[in-house]
Amino acid sequence: MNKKVYSALVWGLAVVITGAPLAADDKPADEAGKSSKAKLWSYQPVNPPAVPDVAQSDWVRTPIDAFVLARLEEKGLKPSPDADKAAFIRRATLDVWGIIPTPEEVDAFVQDDSDNAYEKLVDRLLASPKYGERQGRKWLDLARYADSTGFQNDNDRLNMWRYRDYVINAFNQDKPYSRFIQEQLAGDELWPGDEQALIATGFMAQFPDNSNSRDLVQRKYQITTDITDTVGKVVLGQTLECARCHNHKFDKISQKDYFSFQAFFANIAPVDNIPVSNKGEVEKQWQAQWDKWQAATKDIRAKQKAIIDTHREEALKYHKERYLTDSREAIFKPKEQWTAQDRWVNHRLANVTTEGSLQSFFQERGESTDPKTYDKKVAEQWAELEKLNKELRKFDDLKPTTSSNNISAMTELGHPDAPPSFVFAVGDHEKPLEQVEPAFPAAITSEKPDIKPLAFSSGRRTALVKWLTSETNPLTSRVYVNRVWDQYFGKGIVATLSDFGKAGEKPKNPELLDYLAKQFVKNGWSVKQLHKEILLSSVYRQASDYREDVKQVDPENELLAVFPRQRLEAEQVRDSLLVAAGKLVDTVGGPSVYAPLPSAINTNYRNNNAAGFNDRMWRTSKDEKDHNRRSLYIFTRRSIPYPILDSFNMASPQEAHSKREVTTTPLQALTLFNSEVIFDWSKSLAGRVINEAGEEEADRINRLYRILFARNANEDELATLQAFLDEQAKVISAKAENGKFEINVPAEIKDKKIDDPIRAAAFVDLVHTVANSNEFIYRF
Amino acid sequence: MSNSSRRDFLIKTGYGLGGLTVSGLLPGGGVIASALADDAALAAIAGENPLAPKAPHFAAKAKTVIWLHMAGAPSTLDLYDYKPELVKRAGTPIPASFLQGIKTSTQGGVTKLIATKRTWKQHGQSGAWFSDWLPNLAEHADDLAFIKSSVTVGATHDISIMKLNSGGLNPGRPTLGAWVQYALGSANHNLPAYVVLYNDKREPRGGVTNWESGFLPAVYQGTPFRPGDSPILHLQNPQYVADSEKRNALDLLRRLNESHAGRYPTDTELQARTESYDLAYRMQETAPEAVDFSKESDATKKLYGLDEEITKPYGELLLRARRLAERGVRFIQVVSGPTDIKGDSRDWDAHQNIEENHGKHSKIVDKPIAGLLKDLKAKGMLEDTLVVWTSEFGRTPWSESGDGRDHNPWGYTQWMAGGGVKAGYTHGSTDELGVQSAKGSEVDTYDLHATVLNQLGLDHLKLIYKYQGRSERPTVVYGKVIKELVA
Repeated sequence: MNKKVYSALVWGLAVVITGAPLAADDKPADEAGKSSKAKLWSYQPVNPPAVPDVAQSDWVRTPIDAFVLARLEEKGLKPSPDADKAAFIRRATLDVWGIIPTPEEVDAFVQDDSDNAYEKLVDRLLASPKYGERQGRKWLDLARYADSTGFQNDNDRLNMWRYRDYVINAFNQDKPYSRFIQEQLAGDELWPGDEQALIATGFMAQFPDNSNSRDLVQRKYQITTDITDTVGKVVLGQTLECARCHNHKFDKISQKDYFSFQAFFANIAPVDNIPVSNKGEVEKQWQAQWDKWQAATKDIRAKQKAIIDTHREEALKYHKERYLTDSREAIFKPKEQWTAQDRWVNHRLANVTTEGSLQSFFQERGESTDPKTYDKKVAEQWAELEKLNKELRKFDDLKPTTSSNNISAMTELGHPDAPPSFVFAVGDHEKPLEQVEPAFPAAITSEKPDIKPLAFSSGRRTALVKWLTSETNPLTSRVYVNRVWDQYFGKGIVATLSDFGKAGEKPKNPELLDYLAKQFVKNGWSVKQLHKEILLSSVYRQASDYREDVKQVDPENELLAVFPRQRLEAEQVRDSLLVAAGKLVDTVGGPSVYAPLPSAINTNYRNNNAAGFNDRMWRTSKDEKDHNRRSLYIFTRRSIPYPILDSFNMASPQEAHSKREVTTTPLQALTLFNSEVIFDWSKSLAGRVINEAGEEEADRINRLYRILFARNANEDELATLQAFLDEQAKVISAKAENGKFEINVPAEIKDKKIDDPIRAAAFVDLVHTVANSNEFIYRF
Repeated sequence: MSNSSRRDFLIKTGYGLGGLTVSGLLPGGGVIASALADDAALAAIAGENPLAPKAPHFAAKAKTVIWLHMAGAPSTLDLYDYKPELVKRAGTPIPASFLQGIKTSTQGGVTKLIATKRTWKQHGQSGAWFSDWLPNLAEHADDLAFIKSSVTVGATHDISIMKLNSGGLNPGRPTLGAWVQYALGSANHNLPAYVVLYNDKREPRGGVTNWESGFLPAVYQGTPFRPGDSPILHLQNPQYVADSEKRNALDLLRRLNESHAGRYPTDTELQARTESYDLAYRMQETAPEAVDFSKESDATKKLYGLDEEITKPYGELLLRARRLAERGVRFIQVVSGPTDIKGDSRDWDAHQNIEENHGKHSKIVDKPIAGLLKDLKAKGMLEDTLVVWTSEFGRTPWSESGDGRDHNPWGYTQWMAGGGVKAGYTHGSTDELGVQSAKGSEVDTYDLHATVLNQLGLDHLKLIYKYQGRSERPTVVYGKVIKELVA
């Protein structure tokens, strides 16, 4: 390849696939709405036609195939033959578990000639907890899941992993999707004694937050907005948020509809200090660690408290005065006069006020160079507090870093009365217009919410989830089955996964969509059965090889006459490399872990507030096993996306993430080839291959290929790779002749000696290169 | 495959089967430039590359933006916005009339006006005021266009920094640099078009939030150039892997990929991935070169203050910024870092002891910024390089503590230089005490963004990305170009 071509390559050399909708006309939407009398397709009841008759009926394994084949036959296309079994199991294992299969799993399946070999495989895959981990990660994308709050301070959220585990378990237990939604949006109302249902409401508590906000009234509005918009997108596939500042431009959603929908959430408040009731090993360990810290710091904290106590009231008042005018009105109001809104503001205040907050008073009086502010006595106290802060920091390493013994949930704080909701002019909460009550968008349904207040809660969300998960809701089931379809085929039947509105795409195969939606509800909203039917379909079983005839008739492969290959997602890349290296630690669940960061990223912050604590943003786990956990257990810090995953387009947790993009960039090439962590895995993989294969190089290469690609190397490849070893050994020797004998050798070799370190180093390079190839990073 | 046959097939095949099937959904298209960009006939397909160079909406005045974010928010009342009345009234309560229409905190009382011990002078033909904290920058008075009526939303840094960078009050919106990269693509194949620099050993607070691509595809996210001579993550070969070894391995990789591609002859995504390794290989040279000062003269280094300890870290950033601007980087976001104030690491956020805090921070940035302007001018680059001096908000004339200042989102000063702005012009003003901007002349962050985009040849109203059914633009639903600032 010549220089000229290089220069034509650009930095971003990239391929992007997103769910961005086609341009829609920018005319006001209620106009557009009026012009078409009929309800939008997605608002109409789910109503699948009879399964179509097809000519090639022996291809039909499930009705899904008939719906797909009918369209192919209309175009005169035949489906592709089945993929070979090894390719199939690699594909299915990556899709269902998110990792590559072992050579033994491949062999067992390939050799299984029984009639139900495929079904046994699919059942085995769906029965593994790895299924829940993979599906759970998909849902966490939508839940904007993170272990920290975001914004500049990006505080820890050490309870959230319990919600993550709840999600994984829900999929593994095949919890009906309807119940799954009910628990996440109204678990506290519907099952008040059920701890898991409470943890489930953590879905609503994933909003990005800034604990030092001075405008608590605005904060409440932003949090309610976040939840409303998330539910609209995730559950209903509706861009409700478009109607917050003005009536929806495309859909018949008015501002009034929007704020009426927001009213379902008017009374909810985040609660982060509910003690875990069933204390297991994690909780006991946490308690032991926490007790250690408590004991070690008892005297220091007692001394600090004694100092703060001398001015506690003043210091608290000083702290409260930092809030803005309307927040202060609620804060300084006597409790008996609190409205529901004031109650929220004061709850928030209590949540973000710490002993550290009270130190600001001492800092101001103690540091000021202004004689009117300065107080010599307080200055002495401040100096003492600072000294104690420094001492306290010395014990930071004793503090538990990834968990707590509390649950984070959303509740209504035990009160049935909700603050009033208003339509806000241009979405500005300081400009209320008419008052509104909870209601469903009129364009979607004429149903009215049946709200029955409870003693401890408004009952609004119970009414909401009843509608969302009713069998007649036209959106909930369609939106979800479409997301699952998208996972397998790289593109939803409706390509805009979270926009089933007018500006979104229309379904490419509406009959199939409705068949899946209907079947899903009929099967009791069983997610596993939905997966199973897709996995056992002929559509899914097809080969992905290029076909000229398809290219001519259906260049975008929308009809699926060929199976669409896909780039692995970030977690699939990292987790599969770990599996290949034989290093994956497959513990399910538990507190998040800190895998190591590249050393160039220094996250050792020192906060400049009064409390002045050392807040290291990344506390790499001491237990090295934690470094090799599955990617979904890596601490999701909003400000520091984990670099290996970030470069392969992991989900951004800032808002509901509907679809993983696929970009191809040089940064990925740099990451995969140069990352020390990944290179170490290649050394381990090289060692594993040597341990597991014989002395023959060809055997080793075949073993490598079977691990990574589920196949043997062909003759050409063997020749190429052995020639590479010869050549690379020479290159490495030349390096050694230059006086540097620094080479990489396979790691963790058992009971074997490396006779020829140079050739072994060449083998490491070979392994690393093969792991970097397209065949590994895609599933076909 | 030869160069010409590769191109042929890219023309013939368009998008690959299977992989790129949804590319038609993307407003910027899906695919790849690959071997295309230098062939006019192929420009249409090259345009499908999200980072292929794109034409602006109209003739651009600026090619590059150097965005100097003074993190923590300096008191511009003590730098540019001279208020004799404040000096006179220091120590007295602020009249209620100045607080009309704003929501304030009352911590420490809003009533204690303070003045700092500055001496003030007018400079240049424009007669712009500078305090003695910025002696070097003052020499460039006639190069700057001041906005003395800046306004924003938010009372805390996190919200206002987010708004300054992205226009959003919540996370999720693309930052300005990401929009620029989306709109104009990359002018240099070997460097990212949007680079973030910071002069602290640590990551800037908020990390990726400061340069995120939000709802734009992730490829438009800013790339932090980290301190040291290897600015991008994973730029170095793994330990003990010699370059000759790597070159050989990459040749093998290409052979493996090309042989495998036989089954997928029209798959451009797979091809793009094959090409990306050679691009990455070249980047291992070009990125360090961009931050290598060995060919810079001592005089230049001195200009940026590299010869003094206090100015060296920030000076190095600005010299990096100039080198990146020379190499066609479109948007260079420079975040000023904290410094040691009485044993604590602090940015410009001087709630206490503004004298020491601002004295030091001014010293850190004054000479390097003046040096940058001088250097750009000498190299003939100032004409098409827009330098923006900005912060998340300003500071109040009153004090919580008696010797520091609180946050002021209602009236503060920012400035622009070069890139076709009206040098020597001052836009807007604040009231006599520097609390609020004069009505009618306010410049919000949205207006600043619109004006910056305008200088890059972009109409903020036409810079659209369709997302979730909405036509999103950088200025949300606000923003106007401040025409008076444009030369």
